[in-house]
Amino acid sequence: MAFLDNSGDIILDAVLTDTGRMRLAKGDGSFRITSFALADDEIDYSLYINTTGSAYQDLQILQTPVFEAFTNNASSMKSKLISIADPKLLYLPVIQLNEIYSGNSTQKHADGVFVVAVNSDTENKFNTDKIVMYGENPSSDARYVRLDQGLDTTSISPSHAMQASLLETQYAIEIDNRFGTIVASDGTTSRPYSFVDDDDIATYYYSLATDPQFVTENSETSVSVNTQVISGPRGTILQFKVASSIDLVDGSYFDDLGSTKTITDDFGGTDQTSTYKYIDTFVRVQGMTTGYSLDVPVRFIRFQTD
Amino acid sequence: MATIYKSFASSDAVQTRTLLHESVPITGAIASGTYNIGKTTTEENIKDFAHGMFQSVYDYPFLSSSANHIFDLTFGYSNQSQLSGASNSQNAKKINLYNEFAQVLAGYDETGSIRRFDRDGDLTTGTKLNECIFLNFARLLTKDEIKKGTFTMYFHTGTALDTYGPAPATLLTASDFGAATDYRVNSPAGEYGILYTSSATPDATGESGIGLIYYQAGVVVLTASVFAKSQNPPAKGVVTTAGGTSTAPNFSTQGATLKGKNTIDATLTGATISANADALRHRLYSVEFDNTTELNSTVYFCRINHNDYNYSANPTYLTGSKIRVKGEKRMNLPVAYPTTVGLYSADRELLAVAKLSEPLKKDPNTELTLRVRLDY
Repeated sequence: MAFLDNSGDIILDAVLTDTGRMRLAKGDGSFRITSFALADDEIDYSLYINTTGSAYQDLQILQTPVFEAFTNNASSMKSKLISIADPKLLYLPVIQLNEIYSGNSTQKHADGVFVVAVNSDTENKFNTDKIVMYGENPSSDARYVRLDQGLDTTSISPSHAMQASLLETQYAIEIDNRFGTIVASDGTTSRPYSFVDDDDIATYYYSLATDPQFVTENSETSVSVNTQVISGPRGTILQFKVASSIDLVDGSYFDDLGSTKTITDDFGGTDQTSTYKYIDTFVRVQGMTTGYSLDVPVRFIRFQTD
Repeated sequence: MATIYKSFASSDAVQTRTLLHESVPITGAIASGTYNIGKTTTEENIKDFAHGMFQSVYDYPFLSSSANHIFDLTFGYSNQSQLSGASNSQNAKKINLYNEFAQVLAGYDETGSIRRFDRDGDLTTGTKLNECIFLNFARLLTKDEIKKGTFTMYFHTGTALDTYGPAPATLLTASDFGAATDYRVNSPAGEYGILYTSSATPDATGESGIGLIYYQAGVVVLTASVFAKSQNPPAKGVVTTAGGTSTAPNFSTQGATLKGKNTIDATLTGATISANADALRHRLYSVEFDNTTELNSTVYFCRINHNDYNYSANPTYLTGSKIRVKGEKRMNLPVAYPTTVGLYSADRELLAVAKLSEPLKKDPNTELTLRVRLDY
């Protein structure tokens, strides 16, 4: 008589994250576990082989060694698993940067990042064609970050509506609170972050129902390759700007966390070059429905010398 | 509706308490011999203080940051002891130390006076331990408490010893025999047991004890009379007479220093606490006990139903927007391979992380219950 397979019940030892320890130390009741999620950060699904026998399809995936737990809360649970009742889905929505929607208003800088000038002095060094966001005076600048959600496939026409259960109705944006804050694309509307963790990462939540300056439905149903990056059914749009923090305006952090670089500007004439201090970071956007996340590269710059 | 967080039901979190025990063997060589630089020079793992009130034993030269504190050693007697005398070496300090231990471990009587240590734990009557040797074990070793019934200490009671050596016939045992089911609770410092020399010696009247062990405090109180002349069979009484006799064993090796007064009563009165501690360490053969760590855990039952977590937001899960593991066929079951469980607060902050040892296969044909244990 063989033994019963008891592999369906597994005991795991958990470790507190740094944020968990911080909340526990506060003693104010903020340490309260209410939910769980699963993640598969180590898995490379390109190792899944559909064309071989069933026993071998996921052999390499199942042999993937798993890392010990990170105690840094920002380093774990990057790619989460999703619960969807329908097992017959062939497509899942993605979130993509839309740099073609409005010319250079939504484009990245030529360096491949969204460049944010942290003070007025730096802002004044660039004409509009240099695609630099104004961090101290965001309302004086037309540039913003736009992210489109939807099914990026040519197999389904964009005239089809997105399945309601896959529509991202809420987004979380994480940004290093030492460097910047999130404001709407109009440059004036903002709302406070929901919380800042022990690593100074601020998390903002924006939803379709309450934050129309940030989240809107994408009503464009034509193929419209000139303004849309999602080829199939389209979901929601997230738009925001990055404003610089007071600490960056006064130059703090650049010496410790940044470096210097020569950047083409318009100081003293068109297309000149000057030296700037800069800090590279990223803004993480995550859809709260599907868990899909995207890192938007951001560079904060401050004029140093001509 | 697609979701990535699943809320716990109120019955999904269960609190448990587990007692974890570790075996702690302390060889006598640590206390006497391992880091001896010659017979009479410095023992580098033994720390004496300018105040001279106790001596600390480390497992490594104490000036090293790698050293761990093992235990402290000191001596004291009651001001009611016949050994007490103004001309004694460190007389006041020995009395003060006795009183400090007594007030913390034995407490006060109804008049507010400090109780003396009692041989059998019956505070109303019986023999008092007036002259004591105190061993304070570091919290590093005892953790939350010493496990009852596991403490055993061996030391030499024969002729004088210079340093740690092999077990002679005169090795005396001090152990809390039977304490797992027979211990006292009338101490303000928690539970304590009585130390005996043999498992045969505990008796109802309890007058065969040679010391006390306070489990939560991690303190051993040993009567100095175990080194008196009638030590074998073990002393029945405390040290009551001043001055050694020719039949009493030498306690200290420092006869010259102490002008020939090597017996326990002579050293208690005529030698410093530090010199007494040196003498005891050189008689120590070994100490062993089990410690106890109280683990309070919460077990979270992560119930993953057949239709939960079959898809992934992993960037490699899709090509374009198409699910890679489906292989172009809508009817193929989705599958995902979780490696991590995250526990979240109501505002979606990650508070704890648990890792699987290998990826699990999750598809609509499987249901899982992952028990995630968080220890405090």
